[in-house]
Amino acid sequence: MSYTLRGRLESRLAASVLPFLAACILALALSAWWPLELAGAMVAIGIALDVLVYHRLLQFQPAWLSVPLGVAELALTMAVVRLAGVEAPLEPALWFFACSWVVALLLGQAGLPALRLSYAEDGGELGRGGAALSLAAPVALVGVVAVALAGQPPTLRLAAGVHEGPLVIDHPLTLVGRPGTVVRGGIVVRADDVTLRDLHVVGGEDGIDVDEADGVVIDRVTVSGVTLDAIRIRRSSATVRDCTILAGSAPHVQGIDISFSAHRTMSLVDGCTVLGGQEGIVTHSAEVVVRDNRVVGTSLRAITMTEMSMGAIEDNEVRSARGVGIYCGDYSHCEIEDNHVIGTTPDRDSDDPSRGGYAIQSHFHAVATVDGNRLEDNARELGGFAGGSFGEH
Amino acid sequence: MSRCAIVGGGLGGFVAYATLRHGGLEPGEIAVFDPDPDPLGAWLPRAAAIRQRRMRSESDGHCHPRSFPGLAPRETYRTGNLAPLVATICNRYRPTVGDFVRHVEELRDRTGWDESVVPCRVGAVRAERGGFAVDGHGTFRHVLVATGHPGLAVPEELRGDPRAVHAYEQHGYASRVAVVGAGMAAATEWLNALAAGAEVVSVRRREPARRPLNLPRPLFSKRGLAAFHRSPAADRVELLTTLLEPSYPPGQVWDAPLAAAAGEGRFRVAASVDGEEQIVCATGFRRGFHHDPLLRRLVEEHGLETEGRWLVLAPDGAVPALADAERTLAVAGVAAQWAYPAADTLVGMKYVARRFLHRVRSCPTR
Repeated sequence: MSYTLRGRLESRLAASVLPFLAACILALALSAWWPLELAGAMVAIGIALDVLVYHRLLQFQPAWLSVPLGVAELALTMAVVRLAGVEAPLEPALWFFACSWVVALLLGQAGLPALRLSYAEDGGELGRGGAALSLAAPVALVGVVAVALAGQPPTLRLAAGVHEGPLVIDHPLTLVGRPGTVVRGGIVVRADDVTLRDLHVVGGEDGIDVDEADGVVIDRVTVSGVTLDAIRIRRSSATVRDCTILAGSAPHVQGIDISFSAHRTMSLVDGCTVLGGQEGIVTHSAEVVVRDNRVVGTSLRAITMTEMSMGAIEDNEVRSARGVGIYCGDYSHCEIEDNHVIGTTPDRDSDDPSRGGYAIQSHFHAVATVDGNRLEDNARELGGFAGGSFGEH
Repeated sequence: MSRCAIVGGGLGGFVAYATLRHGGLEPGEIAVFDPDPDPLGAWLPRAAAIRQRRMRSESDGHCHPRSFPGLAPRETYRTGNLAPLVATICNRYRPTVGDFVRHVEELRDRTGWDESVVPCRVGAVRAERGGFAVDGHGTFRHVLVATGHPGLAVPEELRGDPRAVHAYEQHGYASRVAVVGAGMAAATEWLNALAAGAEVVSVRRREPARRPLNLPRPLFSKRGLAAFHRSPAADRVELLTTLLEPSYPPGQVWDAPLAAAAGEGRFRVAASVDGEEQIVCATGFRRGFHHDPLLRRLVEEHGLETEGRWLVLAPDGAVPALADAERTLAVAGVAAQWAYPAADTLVGMKYVARRFLHRVRSCPTR
């Protein structure tokens, strides 16, 4: 078919109606934005390609070309979704794209030509229906954005200076600090959809304590001077991003602890720096991805995934850990890939052989899948204890 | 006064009829004027004469008002064979003449075509107040002239030559055959004559273009048509003259037998006829509205605008001086090339038919 530019855009919009509605339903059903974000990315990329590439290069578009163009659009959509940080799970996202593509194909090749007599000779233009779609599309976009904004938690901005805690948050809220904003005594989160951003939390037993909450985001937060956990997440799902934990050398301090959350959606710890403490990042009975973090100078283990946890430990830098660098324990299943573990030393105060300075350890029936890790200057590299085992991809 | 008239009952008229029926008109509201009630009556003998087995058109080369489903999905549905569907996805599907004939016959039965055919030849259409008088058969508010090609073209120098036969007339093959022309019919005749064991000379003035369809594909849709419709008359004449030069599809189906025959000394190209036993004139049809008595009379009596050999039409195929909100005179088929360069294809016939239907529907009194 030889599309006009208007025909391409109107056909694209027509083909987007069903996926858009499906995305709305999915978003409502899952209480998640990713279906709409994915659909938005898909349509935006399609329109951009229509205007910038397809219309210029394709005077005529045979039906078979829909397949390679679909693959290219899929690759671009997934890349944009990834770069934009849209938290769309891969397999459902691929299914969503594939179904949308099939709908578009059937509509373009069969539905629209059957509905509109002159569809082909009009170059894909849809007449008054197309004009209505062109008007409806921005209206729908504005509507979705408006609903999205209306549904967003309120934002509370803390002024620079010291705010005495503990601050207790029991409803959806975005709490944002400025340079120089300090919360002394910790923050307690007891509600879903809470975002903490650009804050410095000082002191208290736990710096940030999250319990029974979903959709919590902890972004660009620094925690220091606590006596137990810098960030403590229980029975919750959270995204912890670009944080800094100054755990120091106090005897019981841990960096980030995500526990008892296996019944929740997967949590993410990404781009954080943990300096000191007993354990840098630790999970118990939770599903977590630990990615792109830097953990330095821990006294027990740098990164721990234990008690039937499941997840990935990837692209982290672990430096100067005492005893164990990365630990997968107690029936957990861990994918340990592309980490850089340097200078793990034996724990001289312990006669436990498993504390012998292992870069990566699998313990007590845990299964650690290791691949692409760089291990340098560690006392020992891989160690399996009490039925813990290693696999490779 | 309330009916539509279609002057010409060939494929162009048939496509228009099926489209009007799809648009809600009853057989009693449409009169089709043609001495031959068979819509394939003109086309099929020509296809048979050149021993055509497959259509040049693709899946959407059919007479149904809707583009989808085309002939390929219909064949898949009928036979359970997926090959036509796969072939059409790759633009490799060419329906057989048999399939096309079957499809026309089915549609003829389904649309009630025979109820509407008035078996007579129309010699004149004249504009009257609020409509058009159709040669003593009454006045019609909306008239579509679809009289088809105005006769076979035979080169002047070969007229009366006893060796000459037109490709579209029934014929066999002598042992040495000159085929004059370089379009689709000529290419078909090269292969036919070679298959019959003849030695073939292709007489041509220029190398034919090689393309799948009669015209570049963008010209079948608004993408190419918009610029065509915008172009000044002189440019449009030049463009049509260039575009309508002979062509036939690329591919080994054509090239391999010709190359093999050339290797055996049985096929060659020449600039002129030179003593061959038989001359097949694959020179198509006479070109220009003035060869069609009805159109010529229409132009002369109403002072209609023409450009070169073309009748000047609105982009929808209507005659501008004789079409307004309450009445329509439109032209379909080869005479509508000013509106749609591929007007003599099935897709072109549908293009005009759909727009004719739009005018009929939009008319406040129909």
